[in-house]
Amino acid sequence: MEKEDVKWGMVIDLDQCTGCGACITACAMENNIPYVGETDAGYGRSMPWIRVERLWEGDYPDIVANVMPIMCQQCGAAPCESVCPVFASVHSEAEEINLQVYNRCIGTRFCANNCPYIARQFNWFDYAPHMPIPLNYQFNPDVTVRTRGVMEKCTFCIQRIRRAEEDAKARGIDIQDGELQTACQQACPANAIIFGLLSNPQSQVSHEARSGRSELLLLEELGTQPRVVYLKSLRTQGISIQTPED
Amino acid sequence: MPEGTTHLAIFNEVDPVAEAIHELRELGIPDNQMNIISGLPYSAEMLGREKSWSMIPKFSIIGFVLGFVLSIVLNWGSVLQYPLIVGNLPLFAIPTTIIVTFELSMLGLLLFTFLGVVWENAWPSWGKKVYRKDVSDGKIAIEFICPPEIHTRVHEMLGALGAEWVHRTEATEI
Amino acid sequence: MTTEAVPSGIPVPHSNDVESEENDIREHLMHDPRPRAELNRMVMESMQVTPKSFWVIVGILALLVAVCLFGAWLYMIMKGMGVAGIRRPTFWAMLIANFVFWIGISHAGTFVSAILRVFKAEFRRPITRAAELMTAFGLAAGAMYPLIHLGRVWVGYWIIPYPNQRWLWPNFRSPLVWDLLAITTYLLGSIMYIYLPLIPDLAMARDHSTGWRYQFYRILSFGFTGAEGEWQRIRTAITIFAFAIIPVMFSVHTIVSWDFAMTKTPGWHSTIFGPFFIAGAIFSGVSAVAMILFIVRASMKNMDYFIRKEHFDAFGKLILVFSFVWAYFYFNEFLLAWYAGDASDQFVWNAITQGPNAWLWYLMLVLNIGIPWLTLWNKKVRRTPWMLFVIGFLINIGMYIERYIIVPGMITVNRFPFQWGEYGPRIELVISVGSLSLFLLLYALASRLIPLIPVWEVVEGQHATQLRRIGKAKVPTVTNLE
Repeated sequence: MEKEDVKWGMVIDLDQCTGCGACITACAMENNIPYVGETDAGYGRSMPWIRVERLWEGDYPDIVANVMPIMCQQCGAAPCESVCPVFASVHSEAEEINLQVYNRCIGTRFCANNCPYIARQFNWFDYAPHMPIPLNYQFNPDVTVRTRGVMEKCTFCIQRIRRAEEDAKARGIDIQDGELQTACQQACPANAIIFGLLSNPQSQVSHEARSGRSELLLLEELGTQPRVVYLKSLRTQGISIQTPED
Repeated sequence: MPEGTTHLAIFNEVDPVAEAIHELRELGIPDNQMNIISGLPYSAEMLGREKSWSMIPKFSIIGFVLGFVLSIVLNWGSVLQYPLIVGNLPLFAIPTTIIVTFELSMLGLLLFTFLGVVWENAWPSWGKKVYRKDVSDGKIAIEFICPPEIHTRVHEMLGALGAEWVHRTEATEI
Repeated sequence: MTTEAVPSGIPVPHSNDVESEENDIREHLMHDPRPRAELNRMVMESMQVTPKSFWVIVGILALLVAVCLFGAWLYMIMKGMGVAGIRRPTFWAMLIANFVFWIGISHAGTFVSAILRVFKAEFRRPITRAAELMTAFGLAAGAMYPLIHLGRVWVGYWIIPYPNQRWLWPNFRSPLVWDLLAITTYLLGSIMYIYLPLIPDLAMARDHSTGWRYQFYRILSFGFTGAEGEWQRIRTAITIFAFAIIPVMFSVHTIVSWDFAMTKTPGWHSTIFGPFFIAGAIFSGVSAVAMILFIVRASMKNMDYFIRKEHFDAFGKLILVFSFVWAYFYFNEFLLAWYAGDASDQFVWNAITQGPNAWLWYLMLVLNIGIPWLTLWNKKVRRTPWMLFVIGFLINIGMYIERYIIVPGMITVNRFPFQWGEYGPRIELVISVGSLSLFLLLYALASRLIPLIPVWEVVEGQHATQLRRIGKAKVPTVTNLE
């Protein structure tokens, strides 16, 4: 099978997103993201690979919440990659995403400083050894459990990508669109997250990305070439929390 | 093979030393059998001696070149051996190469300059030397090899110029 | 022999009274020669006469180093970086601010020793070694921080380029690897540059000591006797070093500034960071040298002969000049963001100047600009050593605040307001105390072992300086002996 130009990408439909946070939970389950505890979470040490930003707009009683799930944008020109002194953050030629190599990371945290999306997380302590039995059974065996001192971030569920690629190769065909879903996409009740091959013009993600519905790339002016496209129709105002009388 | 015995003449000031060197040369002692030992640097012109050429600048340049080569080998060689794409930068980026090359070349220059001094001075040489502790207290010594025929004339001349003392010496532990 | 014009700082005596004229002139070290043997004895005494209180202080410093630096660092290694105060989004904070601070201080030694030597400023003669030692020990303290702040320091050696069977090399396109190369070059270069002019003084010390000191100096002086060939070669090498280490010094702090300027972080991504950091480094470094000189002069025997008010005067002027330079660069930074900066730049500067920590910013301005600009004009102030100590101390605090504002301050505010954060140091405070103690401890121990005054350079300067009568005035002249 010849190697094609695969380019994985994601579309997030902000008109559908309800801000429920199911994606955060699913991502944490899938990727063995540790629980840091209440104190550390209050201190800003929690490590969600995907976060839902909530920005309030307007004055009471016409307050509107704009929600936006943000994860690593898998930039084509990633600023985190060039500054890592030991090549722990490199660009994958096969999948065109940014790879974080846990066992090479020495923890300088330069990549985290340089990420304009603040999408990278750091393991401040060894959380995994302190998981009381039987909670440790929830770890996903496909994903490394990280030690202290190592950076981590959203990987577009590369373990699922790999598994789908191997299955397809075993069957002798290309990966079909819709065959694999990232954890966040799988959990989203509003189907706001669409993931697939941007290099395949027939895939759903390609359709959505070119749908003409005000697609926006975050911080596009910085030249990072993110692989996540946000759709937001100009007419919707986000989630309003008006009382039933209105 | 120089004939004669090693002498050490101690002076208090540099002017009579320059005179003494001139007189010793007149008396037939060649320049390469004279050595001036002092607690302060005096240039060759002050002492009336020929300027000796030093290889240290050549060492510096060799060091610079070696550092330059090492930087190219490390910087580009490592990328050739295991190319890893990092985001927004090309594999053989010239601006970053300039930085790495500058640092390693300067390191080579400095290291080899130091090695040049050590090598040319034949350091460390902890063995026996012709020396007197007075030298570091400000005296200036002329160490010379004197053929026996002109012993007395040399002693007279040096005494007349104001030498504190003139004696035969041997190399000792300093 | 060429003569130069009257060097600045040496006053032309006005008084008609011959005796007071003589005293005025004798106030200057270069015009107050004494027999070499006496100077040697004075320097040896300053190393050997050690009051009991010195050992008490050394003991306390050693304890602080063991507990606060190595102990706290070991605790952080075992537990994880979480015991420090850093958290998202301030991934770099006090430890990196310390790193920049110490590397900055280390620039002063090279400034005094190399730049002043190249410009033939005579007042540098007794000070070069004390300043250069500050460089070496400042680098020792500062170079620990890139290790301390690593999340996995036990594999930190991967940043060193060494051949291995997995063909893995460091990323030479990363500013941290440039840091490694630059600091290694500067550290080795500085050590060699201290060592070369030290050899004749070690030989002098060898000639004037017995017992273990004699053996120590004998080995380290390499058998130097003062032969003219040895002197000429040392002179050549020192000249090459002086010229070569200046671009290295500039490049080191520029590369440290590029750790910040190469990012996309608003506030850090500024083209002026290179020269700005260098100006700040020399500013804080020269102030630190003034502090060290005061301590050396006050605590070591005979040092008041070598380090005189004229030196503090000269340093006061240098501090004032660099205060202007620093203020110029800082105003540039501020003006750009304030006048035409992006929204993200303006957020950062608003947070710094009007946010909850704005008092730090105002304090920094007072200390870095107010204090030198209000005090160092006055000659009396400049010629009072303890005042220069206090001013130098306050300036170093101000410069530390500047680094603290840049490193954690500017990254708490970023392009996603939902991710703005705060920072408060935890174990970093303990480690900072430890590294300061390490610097002081190394310096204190060095003062017992290494002659702090390059006697041969001082005597050379005294030989080169004479008084010449021009008209009715006795004018000091300096001969160019090289």
